[in-house]
Amino acid sequence: MIPRARTAFIAGFLLPATVLYTVFVVIPVVQAFAFSLYRWRGISANRTFVGLENFHHLFADPLVWVALRHNLLLFLGTGVAILALSLALAHAVGSENRAARFLRSVYLFPQVISLVVVAILWMFILNPSFGILNAALKAVGLERWAIAWLGEKTTALASIGVAHVWHALGFYIMLFAAALRTIPPDVMEAATLDGAMGLTRLRYVTLPMLWAVLRIALVYMAIGAMNIFSLVFLMTQGGPDRATEVMLTYLYEQAFKHSEFGYATALAVLNFVLVMALSGAILALFRHNPQEGKA
Amino acid sequence: MIRRALVAFGLWAFALSVVVPLLWVLMTAFKTGAEIFTAPWGLPHTPQWQNFARAWQEAGIARYFMNSLIVTLATLAILLPIGAMAAYIFARYPFRGAKWLFGAFLGGMMFPLFLTIVPLFFLLARLQMLDTLHGLTLVYVAYSLPFTVFVLTGFFQTLPQEMLEAALIDGCGHARAFWKVMLPLAKPGILVVGVFNAIGLWNEYPLALVIMTSDERRTLPLGIANLLMVEQYQSDWGALFAGLVIVMLPVLCVYWLFRDRIHETMIAGALKG
Repeated sequence: MIPRARTAFIAGFLLPATVLYTVFVVIPVVQAFAFSLYRWRGISANRTFVGLENFHHLFADPLVWVALRHNLLLFLGTGVAILALSLALAHAVGSENRAARFLRSVYLFPQVISLVVVAILWMFILNPSFGILNAALKAVGLERWAIAWLGEKTTALASIGVAHVWHALGFYIMLFAAALRTIPPDVMEAATLDGAMGLTRLRYVTLPMLWAVLRIALVYMAIGAMNIFSLVFLMTQGGPDRATEVMLTYLYEQAFKHSEFGYATALAVLNFVLVMALSGAILALFRHNPQEGKA
Repeated sequence: MIRRALVAFGLWAFALSVVVPLLWVLMTAFKTGAEIFTAPWGLPHTPQWQNFARAWQEAGIARYFMNSLIVTLATLAILLPIGAMAAYIFARYPFRGAKWLFGAFLGGMMFPLFLTIVPLFFLLARLQMLDTLHGLTLVYVAYSLPFTVFVLTGFFQTLPQEMLEAALIDGCGHARAFWKVMLPLAKPGILVVGVFNAIGLWNEYPLALVIMTSDERRTLPLGIANLLMVEQYQSDWGALFAGLVIVMLPVLCVYWLFRDRIHETMIAGALKG
């Protein structure tokens, strides 16, 4: 093909996707950083450049810290739960027999239904008057435990964490199961012959072989917990009394209830920077496989 | 032995924790309001098919369903051809800056959606596209492009080069060779990317929440979430559960049909780093 025709062909084929992507994704990303430097209330075009003022306000806003704390608690809580459960189950579900394939498929159900459905489903499970959880607790004589899970400050955040784990777990089981399948079977056999079982095998064989996937999985967990929105927004709206407020529900409130668009965008930028920093920290912290070179 | 039993128990316990709540929703959708309250675990005395009729007509699910269907299909109709075209170039036609542009597309998978939500809201307002189905569609296309281009580029790289060469020798132009030869060859890849995107679009909530404001243009997830707020006053729980079934069922059926391919795509997408 003559060079000019080739260039025209390439440009023509890239054009529609690139234009749409630039207009609706790239430009808003750039604007996000710019908007965060303006004081901007209401829908009017009245914007005043204020530099880093929004960020000063953010750091002085106690609710930002409350929300961030909840995000981090969710990351730690759901991260530990997801890691423990998915590593325990991935091994057994990774084989190619019919039962394992069936289970893997079922595990992804929560992942393919809408988060809106997940949220409503858990609201009903936890509902104090007709939820199945409290009905089950009463049936086994634990009336004292039958409380309004989402209405109590002490249990609301944990309840959302449970819903989040229920939604996400299948994905991580799939991920680890797929990674385990790439481990040569003779490595596992040799380890088993050497008497490495259970936690020993997990520590000295499975984890080192899974290391690369584990790092990525931790980053996904961090992103998932820092960017949690739909579950909280639908199940508790951040309540009771801000007990489940997270960064993105607070952002939504500032932007679309109080029309504090500059402030909300600064919060979005802060959220983005924190997610990047947390991901970077995880990747750096888990850079070196502890078992590498020891064997 | 004990360990094995414990793992087996865990495997089925999680499976049950997934299936039982979903079956509970299905069962509750057939109950009367009184039954829902008095016997949460009990079977419905007589199946209340009217719950579905009320959800579909009076609660407005029919309209939400149509809106979701329109937006999902329109998004795929734009996304798949333009995504495939771009992916084809990235896979087959190296040019200066290709790596950079490809990286820019992939970057879209990394940053959180909420970073852009306020600027996007005002962009749509300026374009008179707030609260319109075509506005939501264009946004969906743009935000689905990174994943689509990523997967399809990988797919086009696996197609045999000889087919293209044969087509070119036959006198096809490059564009014609794409539409007539390469795109049909890529059908399996396009199908799985289409299904994958369709599920995500059907379920999407935050973007629709910000962009769509009037009741008659709500998508299904928005509509069902709104119903929850309203039903709290009307307490027609039977209809709400029926609505949940209507939202879930199509996705679960599509997922079950394509589950093996969806698993592969999910893992490939997750491990791109």
